[in-house]
Formats: sequence, structure tokens, C-alpha cells
Amino acid sequence: MASKLLRQTLTKTNRTAAIRCFSTAASVAFPSEYEYPTGITMKGVKISGRPLYLDMQATTPVDPRVLDSMLPFYLSRYGNPHSRTHLYGWESETAVETARAQVAALIGAAPKEIVFTSGATESNNISIKGVMHFYKDKKRHIITTQTEHKCVLDSCRHLQQEGFEVTYLPVGSDGLIDLDRLVKEIRPDTGLVSVMAVNNEIGVVQPVEEIGKICKEFNVPFHTDAAQALGKIKVDVEKWNVSLMSLSGHKIYGPKGVGALYLRRRPRIRVEPQMNGGGQERGIRSGTVPTPLVVGMGAACELAMKEMEYDENRIKGLQERLLNGIREKIDGVV
Amino acid sequence: MRNNIRERERRQMAASGVAAPTRTEVLQLYRSLLRVARQFCDYNIREYSKRRTIDAFRDNKNLTDPSQLSAAFSDGKAQLEVAKRQALVYSLYTPKVKSIMDIKPS
Repeated sequence: MASKLLRQTLTKTNRTAAIRCFSTAASVAFPSEYEYPTGITMKGVKISGRPLYLDMQATTPVDPRVLDSMLPFYLSRYGNPHSRTHLYGWESETAVETARAQVAALIGAAPKEIVFTSGATESNNISIKGVMHFYKDKKRHIITTQTEHKCVLDSCRHLQQEGFEVTYLPVGSDGLIDLDRLVKEIRPDTGLVSVMAVNNEIGVVQPVEEIGKICKEFNVPFHTDAAQALGKIKVDVEKWNVSLMSLSGHKIYGPKGVGALYLRRRPRIRVEPQMNGGGQERGIRSGTVPTPLVVGMGAACELAMKEMEYDENRIKGLQERLLNGIREKIDGVV
Repeated sequence: MRNNIRERERRQMAASGVAAPTRTEVLQLYRSLLRVARQFCDYNIREYSKRRTIDAFRDNKNLTDPSQLSAAFSDGKAQLEVAKRQALVYSLYTPKVKSIMDIKPS
């Protein structure tokens, strides 16, 4: 045995030795065909370094503090939170409940009203299709806007094919919807009004408080897609009077693949589940809750609450610097 | 700030309470945080850590309440632990090509 080991170590090939001395495991595990020490070649273009990332509306990098909170749940605390018989399950369950409380604290809700999903797309699907299928005997009409996210528009189209009626409110040139038009469109059989809080392409902040007031007057459930709004503007479900709210993890410096859905309990809004299974997450979204992702989203929400003021001041400063800098040098800037 | 801390230390010798950090401890924490921030390989995280520690220490410069001071200090110590661990993890997975902001224009 010892002589075999000795023979193996003495006859180690040159190639493995060469790879090992450059960098650690990463380069051996993920050989990249496009990255070279001098630059990157991708799709026929050669650049000398990794580009600076500015597309934070599409997704955000994971904050190191969030990653720090997630890693233990990949390495040693890997239990299923629904296992009720052993320590691994108990500690995962406490972690999930802590994360739930952190998410709830950011939006001003109670922890029991938060359901973890796989992202804002799934939350939107559950809200729109779930609500309409639940109330399909009495309510046949939905109101939404033309600038919604593709998942909302696609869900509405699916419902149209099933026989529901959908009104797509147009937006003005500033991107805001007309509130009088909304009041006119509400009918006795309107089951849901869905307006996103902050648009992901044009960045417009809709007047959600007023829309909430109108919906309360007419007693219509109000759903808002707050994926882009979370952590950037103050989100308060009581002030906005929302019944359903979709949240996304990867827009607030958290991991991709996790999101949340807020479901109001007073007055209770009922949805039909889209994922059937073992009854996890109060039966609304069955399936094992991904502990590390959920813990990451909770940590990201807590960070967002602490850092919201600092980030706002910094971004405002940068925005003013950009606008004033451009306006000084060029005339006629809108 | 030095007078404030000496006064506070004297008051604390008399009354038992939460141990507030001394000036040297605060400066040591500040320097350690900046040193760890410099070790990140990712350009964005490095710049953010540096800027955030400077701004956070500047905002808390005028705190006098000992419980607030010790809360801020222990918060800083916890962030230092997180930063040390994450600097190590990020260094294990550096991309082969550096960020364009780190490459000196030739």
C-alpha cells in the first residue's frame, strides 16, 4: 500500500502540477473558454477587463453579508425545515421563521402573512390566477395596466383565454395611470386590480396610496408587484391598503430563485394554490422551503431596512451629480 | 472626543454599567475594517466597504450615550468578522480577469 502511494506521488504528471500552482479550486472546477489572463473574448468582441455592472434593475449582486448568512445552511445546517423530529429540522425551521419575520418587518406586515415562493413571477402567478380562480363564480373582471411585467400580462392573457375579462389601463406620457379612468373601469364584478409599484423598465413610481384608497372604497382586492420597490421606497401594506404583494429576492442584493408573497389576513384574501403537494406554506405553495435562499432573502431585507436611508442619500447625490453635470454642458435636456 | 471618552471612563469607574469602547479600541476597529475592505478582490465590494465604514464612523462620531456607543461598537466588531470571512471566500473564487476599473489605462 505504501509503495503504491509512493509510486503514485513520484510519477505525478507535469500537467496537474502546472494547473495547481496557478490558482485555487475555481479554475479547475469551472474552466472558462472565454476568459484569458489578458482579457475576455465573447461573441467576437475582445475586452481587457470585466465590465462595470450598472444593470441593477435586472438583478443585483449578492451582498457579502447576505452570503455570509446563507453559507452555514449549505455547509452544516442542511436540514429540511419541515422535518419535525430532529435538530437539523428544528434549526432550519427557526431560521425560516426568523427570515419570515425579517421580510414582514420590512413591509409592515405580520410574519404569518408571508408565503415564500420561487420568485416574483411565481408570486404574481399565484396572486392573479389564484384569486380569480377562487372567486370565479362571482368575479369575472380584472383591471391591470399596459406597462406591467410580462408575467402579469401573460397571466391575464391566460385568464382571458379561460373566459375572464381584462381591462388594460393605458399610461400617460409620464408613465402614470389615470385614476379617474381606473374609477370608471371598476365594475361590480371586478375581482382584482393589479398595478406595479415601481416599473422595472421606466422606473416610474405609481401612486399606490391613492389606488389603494380607491380599491378600499369599492371593496376590490388590490395586488401590487413590489419587486423593484422593496428596499428602495418605504413599503407599508397598511398605508397602501394592498391585499397581495409580490416580492423578489434578487432585486435587493439577495439570492436568485426566492421571492415572497404577502397575503392579507384582515380582511382575508383567499387564493387557489398553483402548486399542489404536501401543504407547506399554509397550503398556498407546497414544496420544501429552500432554507439557504430564504435565509438569504431575510438577511437582505434586514440589511435593506438598515441601509435604506444611507443608500437613498448616496443615490440621490449621484443622480444630482449626473443630471447637473449633463445639464451644464448641454442645453435642452429633458 | 478624547475629553468625552476620558470623562465617560471616569464616570463608569464610579457607576457600573455597559463597558463603552475606548478611543484606541474604536480606532483599531476602524483600521481593521479598512484593512479588510482593501483585501476584497471585487472592485464594487471593496469600494463599498471602504466608503461605508468611513461614513458610518463619521455619523457615529458624536455619540455620547455609553449603551449606544457599545451597541455601535459591537455591531462594528460583528461586521468585521463577517468581512474577514467573506474576504477569504471571495478570494477563493476570483475571476481570472480583473474588473475594468482595476486595470490601469495604458
